[in-house]
Amino acid sequence: MAAGVAAWLPFARAAAIGWMPVATTPMPIPPQEKKKTQDGLIILNVSGTKFQTWKTTLERYPDTLLGSTERDFFFHEESNEYFFDRDPDIFRHILNFYRTGKLHYPRQECISAYDEELMFFGIIPEIIGDCCYEEYKDRRRENLDRLQDDEEMDISNEAAPVNLSYREYLWRAFENPHTSTLALVFYYVTGFFIAISVMANVVETVPCGTMPNRSKEVSCGDRYALAFFCLDTACVMIFTFEYLLRLVAAPSRYKFVKSVMSVIDVVAIMPYYIGLVMTDNDQVSGAFVTLRVFRVFRIFKFSRHSAGLRILGYTLKSCASELGFLLFSLTMAIIIFATVMFYAEKGSAHSKFTSIPAAFWYTIVTMTTLGYGDMVPKTIVGKVFGSICSLSGVLVIALPVPVIVSNFSRIYHQSQRAEKRRAQRKTRLARIRAAKIRGTNAYMHFKQNGLLIDSLEEASKKAGQALVGKAASPPFESQHHHLLHCLEKTTNHEFVDEQTFQANCMEISVVNKAGSRSSSLSSSPHNLSSCCSRRHRKKSSFSLPSTNNQELSTIQIRERPLANSRSSLNAKLNETVPLKCNQPYISPSMVSLSAPPVTSSDEDSTTTTAYSQSNIVRVSAL
Amino acid sequence: MGIQDMELLAIGVVVILFMAVLKQFGILEPISSFEDSSDSDLEMSTVRHQPEGLDQLQAQTKFTRKELQSLYRGFKNECPSGLVDEETFKSIYSQFFPQGDASTYAHFLFNAFDLDRNGSIRFEDFVIGLSVLLRGSVTEKLNWAFNLYDINKDGCITKEEMLAIMKSIYDMMGRYTYPCVRDEAPSEHVDKFFQKMDRNRDGVVTIEEFIETCQKDENIMNSMQLFENVI
Repeated sequence: MAAGVAAWLPFARAAAIGWMPVATTPMPIPPQEKKKTQDGLIILNVSGTKFQTWKTTLERYPDTLLGSTERDFFFHEESNEYFFDRDPDIFRHILNFYRTGKLHYPRQECISAYDEELMFFGIIPEIIGDCCYEEYKDRRRENLDRLQDDEEMDISNEAAPVNLSYREYLWRAFENPHTSTLALVFYYVTGFFIAISVMANVVETVPCGTMPNRSKEVSCGDRYALAFFCLDTACVMIFTFEYLLRLVAAPSRYKFVKSVMSVIDVVAIMPYYIGLVMTDNDQVSGAFVTLRVFRVFRIFKFSRHSAGLRILGYTLKSCASELGFLLFSLTMAIIIFATVMFYAEKGSAHSKFTSIPAAFWYTIVTMTTLGYGDMVPKTIVGKVFGSICSLSGVLVIALPVPVIVSNFSRIYHQSQRAEKRRAQRKTRLARIRAAKIRGTNAYMHFKQNGLLIDSLEEASKKAGQALVGKAASPPFESQHHHLLHCLEKTTNHEFVDEQTFQANCMEISVVNKAGSRSSSLSSSPHNLSSCCSRRHRKKSSFSLPSTNNQELSTIQIRERPLANSRSSLNAKLNETVPLKCNQPYISPSMVSLSAPPVTSSDEDSTTTTAYSQSNIVRVSAL
Repeated sequence: MGIQDMELLAIGVVVILFMAVLKQFGILEPISSFEDSSDSDLEMSTVRHQPEGLDQLQAQTKFTRKELQSLYRGFKNECPSGLVDEETFKSIYSQFFPQGDASTYAHFLFNAFDLDRNGSIRFEDFVIGLSVLLRGSVTEKLNWAFNLYDINKDGCITKEEMLAIMKSIYDMMGRYTYPCVRDEAPSEHVDKFFQKMDRNRDGVVTIEEFIETCQKDENIMNSMQLFENVI
């Protein structure tokens, strides 16, 4: 019941007095009225915009935020009002809902923002009024499609090939040729062969000049029979191979066999096999020749290659009712006009309109404005009706066509939008990744400075270098970084950036193959440091200033980058190195949070990457 | 060459079909509907009513100022033009009785509220009626009920009038009731009513008979007090 009508409930109850005299039994006791609170004004301050309404207006819907005691959480004592830190423009609609009982959806608002507000205030979207409901549902569906598309794209991209079984991989390659080069090659090859096959079918029938020992002209197909046969065989073999592969790879074989494309495939290659089977049998060779017609179905295989064709097919399918109507009205008109023309022309001599079915041909040719002229009316009445026929033909055909066209246009635009979204997906994902990277970049940067704090006491004692020159990061960020740091400490893993991780993965595999070379270090921590050392040996570009020492000390120095300050390099290394080595290492899940090396200063970048590499090394070594 | 009879017939049939198709598409009725709609649109928008001042209403009814304010707000919300016509009234009232058909009873109610019989209820009518129902004395309420039953306002209730009222009340119940509403139920109920009310057995119930009988009936007296706290 709408809220507005609820205001009339007292009236309806009062009017019930009209039933009392006729009632024969006593009435039930009315519900206990709560002590009526004075109906007062409530001030709702939404981000500075003040809304005011009666308390009873809000209490009409006690299961929403504003109508229940939940709003007390937002009460602001100092200004004696309810303060909400939400969007005032959308709040206007929500408040209107309380007032009028109808929820409207403003067209210019973003659907997700609106949904969020509704959810915050505890209002179910289903009560949106009829006037705005369709628009709301359309926008919502679009949004869901967009999200689903994104997810699918993400999933399809992230699914590492090694996780799929061979069969799934094959199917993916078939459905989505862009996933691997092999699939792309296969895609183009099949496309090429379809074209070749169709062209061969066409050229086969062209007259090719006379054979030397005959006078009649023969078609190319007969003249170069062997060549065409070979070409046909090749094409059919490729098609058969492709079909069998698809059959093997299909997740649901039954569904695949039932699908339209597979039927077309089968129909396209059947004539060849049938021809192989029944050679030289005169009776059926006639039928066989007819079967060759089906070879033209190969052209439909192109629909896998062309999105536009698929859209056209989909349009025709979705316009089935309009097409049906068109056909029906045309048939009706044809029958009417054919009958009329037949009877009108019956009198004239040598009339071509020998029967009504014969007149059908005239009617069709006239209504579609073809006008071959092989059948023309001769009587005046016939001519009059003939002209009416052609005029009405134009109308009957012109009416459903715009509907089909607009359907096609809608579907085409939808697919265009989907394409655009796909194209923008890369940019979108890149944006998201860049944002993440900036975050972790900041964290990395901070870590270099922040972790200093751990060893600051030691470092400053030793070197007395002023590290406080760095700019203080904003409090929010510093708290966030502290949080990330705590997480690292908890899991004993650390954050690194993606590129170095990737690079190191490959190197580590090389390292592992090479086997552990350093013999002197056999126990586990030292083993690790050996791997680290191998690492560092490879990355000579990262040589830190003090590389003149012996190998071991070099290693240790390079192990050091955590501390990241020149002074700390001079500090005692021994205590810190084993600490680092003992820590277990990065799980792959953190890779996504990684950042590219900070490019603020050379020292920073080298130390960061060195640091991260050392960590990565440990991971893979373990 | 002459046109044979069959052809003539065929041509005649085709022409008739053609006209039928045109009529189907409404091509043959262009002008008649056009004029009406534009006029009626104009009419709807100019009717509006503002109620009398709050003070006068306070004098005329037994409601407090705040109650009048709250009543008017609810009234104006549903009927922004200030007037309730019968259709709106029926639709509002029907929303309270979704299972049945409340339109007939709403029609009677409408007539009971519409004191000056001009086809629309103003706020004053509304509030005066409510004042009687909710704050009036028992006699005033009984008067109001009698006025409701007396459809032609001639001062007495006939069996037909009562039957109409009774049927409309049973209509509000709808079809899904337990036990099922039989067709004779309203008339039986009317007979019982007349048996109780019609003292001199003259086939009609006058206002005095009505009030007298009701005052003697305890049930009715009690139920009259039932809705006092509605506002």
